[in-house]
Amino acid sequence: MKTYETTIIFDPGLEEARINEEVDRVSQSIAQAQGEIVEVQRWGKRKLAYNIRKRRDGTYIHIKHKSPPTLIGEMDRRFRLHEGVLRHLTVLAVKESPRPAEEPGRAAEPAAAAAATAATAETAAHASHEEKD
Amino acid sequence: MAREGESRSFRRKFCKLCFDKVDRIDYKDDRRLTRFITDRGKIVPRRISGTCARHQAQITEAVKRARILALLPFTSEQYR
Repeated sequence: MKTYETTIIFDPGLEEARINEEVDRVSQSIAQAQGEIVEVQRWGKRKLAYNIRKRRDGTYIHIKHKSPPTLIGEMDRRFRLHEGVLRHLTVLAVKESPRPAEEPGRAAEPAAAAAATAATAETAAHASHEEKD
Repeated sequence: MAREGESRSFRRKFCKLCFDKVDRIDYKDDRRLTRFITDRGKIVPRRISGTCARHQAQITEAVKRARILALLPFTSEQYR
């Protein structure tokens, strides 16, 4: 089981209830696959840096979860088909490093760098790029 | 370089992220990332920003992810 971070951008016109419904459905599918939801963040309505499907804003939902890798492809497929989803991205979550902030010491550096490259190499990025207005 | 040559005094560049003791730069931290992109939305090269290799690699990864999520622009509005 790996820890992932999934961010979903919903159409700003979509009602709160519909978004909650979709989040619930994602949570359910994770639970069904013996996964676990770590955290759900609602960033709310944000201005997009560029228009997606002629929308200027999007409602952001950020979910940190533990899931089997097979579920990620399934989730990706679902978001692609969902019309209310403007964009989505799933990446591997960075492991919390035990390195304390006040003592940056040289010794801790190589370990952190190794962890960083490992996380980068295994990145599972799913993004629908085809719609750029 | 021109900017450094103006005052005839050489100032060594340093990695701002190492100075701030940033362990890991996050793609969600768009406010911090905006410091490392130009007004056109390009990633600032190491030779200009003075960032160390490790942090530059992290910036690159983070900026690219942030662009996908429309937290940062691929290019600025007026040049499109």
